[in-house]
Amino acid sequence: MSKSKTLGWHLFLIVICLIAVLPVVFMLSNSFKTLRESYHSILQLIPLHPTLSNYKTLMQEVNLFGLIWNTFFMATLVTFGKIFSSMLAASAFQYYDFRWKKTLYFIFVATIFVPFTTIMIPNYLVIAKLNLLNTVVGVVLPQLCDATGIMLFTKALEKIPASLLEVAAIDGIPRWRIFVNLLIPMLRPNIISIGAMFFINSWNEYVWPTLILKDKNSFTLPLALQNYISSEGGTNFPLAMALSSIMIVVPLVIYILFQRFILNSISSTGLK
Amino acid sequence: MENGIKIELKAVSKNFKKTKIIKEMDLLVNPGEFLVLLGPSGCGKSTTLRMIAGLESVSAGEVLFDGKNAQKMTSLQKNIAMVFQDYALYPNMTVSQNLEYALKVHKVEVDVRKQRINKILKTLDLIKVANNYPSQLSGGQKQRTALGRGMIKQSRLFLLDEPLSNIDVQLREKARDEIQYIHQQNQQTIIYVTHDQTEAMALGDRIAVMDNGKIQMVATPDEIYNHPRNLFVAKFIGSPQINLIAAKVNNNCLNKGKLQLVNDLKQITAYQFQEEEEIYFGIRPENIQLTAPKKEHVVGIVTQITDYGRYQQIIVEIATDLTLKVISNDTTTQVGDEVGVVFNTDKILLFDTQNGMNLN
Amino acid sequence: MSNSKNKLIPFLCLLPAALILSIFVIIPIGYSFYLSFFNWNLIAPTKNFVGLQNYYSLFTDPINRKVMVNTIFYVILLVILNFLFPYLISLIVKYFIKKMQGAYKIIFFIPSLFSLVVGAMVFSWVLNPVSGPMAFILRKLGMTLPNWTNSGVLAVVVLCLITSWKVFGYNFILLLTGLGSIPQNIIDAAKVDSIPRWRLIWNIILPLNKGVSIYVLILTIVQGLAYVFTPINVITQGGPYYGSSNILYHTYLDAFVLYKTGNASALAIVTFVIFLFLLFLEVRFVERKEASYE
Repeated sequence: MSKSKTLGWHLFLIVICLIAVLPVVFMLSNSFKTLRESYHSILQLIPLHPTLSNYKTLMQEVNLFGLIWNTFFMATLVTFGKIFSSMLAASAFQYYDFRWKKTLYFIFVATIFVPFTTIMIPNYLVIAKLNLLNTVVGVVLPQLCDATGIMLFTKALEKIPASLLEVAAIDGIPRWRIFVNLLIPMLRPNIISIGAMFFINSWNEYVWPTLILKDKNSFTLPLALQNYISSEGGTNFPLAMALSSIMIVVPLVIYILFQRFILNSISSTGLK
Repeated sequence: MENGIKIELKAVSKNFKKTKIIKEMDLLVNPGEFLVLLGPSGCGKSTTLRMIAGLESVSAGEVLFDGKNAQKMTSLQKNIAMVFQDYALYPNMTVSQNLEYALKVHKVEVDVRKQRINKILKTLDLIKVANNYPSQLSGGQKQRTALGRGMIKQSRLFLLDEPLSNIDVQLREKARDEIQYIHQQNQQTIIYVTHDQTEAMALGDRIAVMDNGKIQMVATPDEIYNHPRNLFVAKFIGSPQINLIAAKVNNNCLNKGKLQLVNDLKQITAYQFQEEEEIYFGIRPENIQLTAPKKEHVVGIVTQITDYGRYQQIIVEIATDLTLKVISNDTTTQVGDEVGVVFNTDKILLFDTQNGMNLN
Repeated sequence: MSNSKNKLIPFLCLLPAALILSIFVIIPIGYSFYLSFFNWNLIAPTKNFVGLQNYYSLFTDPINRKVMVNTIFYVILLVILNFLFPYLISLIVKYFIKKMQGAYKIIFFIPSLFSLVVGAMVFSWVLNPVSGPMAFILRKLGMTLPNWTNSGVLAVVVLCLITSWKVFGYNFILLLTGLGSIPQNIIDAAKVDSIPRWRLIWNIILPLNKGVSIYVLILTIVQGLAYVFTPINVITQGGPYYGSSNILYHTYLDAFVLYKTGNASALAIVTFVIFLFLLFLEVRFVERKEASYE
């Protein structure tokens, strides 16, 4: 492999990196520009007159902390619910034998492929019937289980040698202690990575909350951001970008902290 | 077929990050020779083979194929074949397709291809599974397919990386015969990596014993066994292991405490010892005879007997800190017997305690 | 431990997952199917049974037909942008360069962290035909950026590009992992046999990576159609005149904007059947992969 040839490939890949990252960088930069400056110095990466005015305007126009809290609360509930339900189900699939086990597992995992539009109308009707429209619970309830989680935890449990649990069983350790003292610590990296993925996805969740949350007080960040985007043009981009910049902080921090875990768990979704 | 190629390694080193895996290694493999690279795991033997194959870069020094620098040659020019430890069969191709693939890519004529495939399928007893995929093969069949894929190229250099370590003991002997047969037929140069000394002894024209990234000794199996160049080779080769006793030179004698191990050092070696010099005394278990105890003998008590059927391994305790392993066919010895120990003087090996070199 | 207790534990473990999945996924499929035989507006107390008319109209109603054709166009574009392109890049990163592989992985994945609402907003700025940076650069080069929101085809391309921006890194990592799981020895064996690199890729690597790649291909279609929902809703709302709508978005539009619940349910069921067929393909090819490795 000649050096110049790989250099060409690297240049090509670096261009892709720029396409991936530059929009976000420009978004951050524009959030510190006035509307006027964003028009006149479009390609200026570092604002000539950096200003916090967009963030101040946001604070006046929306209940920023309320939005962040709603989003955070929803994502936290969803994440814990999904982790809890999928770990329990996965351990049933891995450690117990019962009738229709394989079929049940297949049906569970197949729900990953059910398009949300197929179930959206009945789900809306159920939430409406339960009087949960405009509430966080209404958004969270259908999302308390995720078949991806069941699949990933089952795969993770498969990798734990059975002999380890057999030793514990022979030593007469009760099952709940095996679960708490052995399984959970061994699954820690999986819990972190799967949890991080669930949290980020839920933080960004848009479609389902749009159906359930109509009242501005119950909005989450993506819904509030949508309100700043006008399809007829005339969007105040610096303002929308300020809100976006606030929105991306949380996923970005999670990624920086758990980057290795997250990438590993994505890898494992594709492999058998 | 062309004759085997000559391989030379000149001061070859290999570094992974900061650790030196191979340290300035020199090696000559003659055309048509069957050379075995033998050593414990992690000694660098596979890395050496992969450098010869061009799968690993060489950090320093050069690898020469018939005197030409191999780093500048393409793998096509090198004309080599290689068998991997876990076979590396193409899982999406049948046995025949695995054999055929490289020939097809390099546009060998169809007739020639078919002819060679048939011959190899026959030689290696693979006809019945010719259209099976690797996942449908037994361990032995996989191994033979891998061997066949190397043979079919009729290359001048054949590299084998622990090809027999993943199959059952019974099959191993048969496969060993096959490899020997291939070598006799083709006269190609073979470099064969293994950690199994029996395999090395059985196959190699010469054996290169490696340890810690260095070649310890290159010689025929007989030389390696009977005249090991240093302590490592002496200990690594031979099972049960050689008996080693640290002892002191004293007036042309070799003593361990009050025991006299050798009464005339000059008879064994021309090496000039210093008085009171500490050296290692080595004797292989089969070179010790047990007799009825007499006063001129070293005397000990039998503490353990293991019956291997073909022979018995007897452990004799001479002193609390000194035991000897002995191989014997005498089945009358019992645990607790007092025995006299006689060393076969011709076979005594002496080693320097500092650098481990053989002093005979 | 008694036998009855042994049976109770797995049952209890499965209960939360089973409850949620059946109430909010499995039963709703049946209910959508039921609704697809009625004319309803989501609110009225009575539903009119109309038999297969909703399904019939999927193929006769011009808007429905337009949406179907759009969906096919979306699928083709998504396969190119979100599957073939990341696959190509993963092959380059795996086999054509040696350094920085980890760095590319980390950077490529960054956009996957962000909401598609953010992506939609940023790209409607980048590609704004009047005031966006792309229009600005093109103007300097003497060209103009067409007003893509006015053209169905261009809008579809842009909407796909936005999802591709988000999904690229994710699919890239999946495919790269697939390539990474091919045993190195097999590649070494091909190297020793001096198989040219493109033949190695074509004859050995692509067939061996079939399982992962079919998984990603199907994921691209299933998730891609769902992912474009967000930028459609944020930027075009399916316009101009349903030109950028697809079967999923139109289901939503029928159900919650136009209140044609029956038509929406029929669309929902057709989508489900298509996805079911893709799932069948997944099982056929991906599950079989296990057999081909030892």
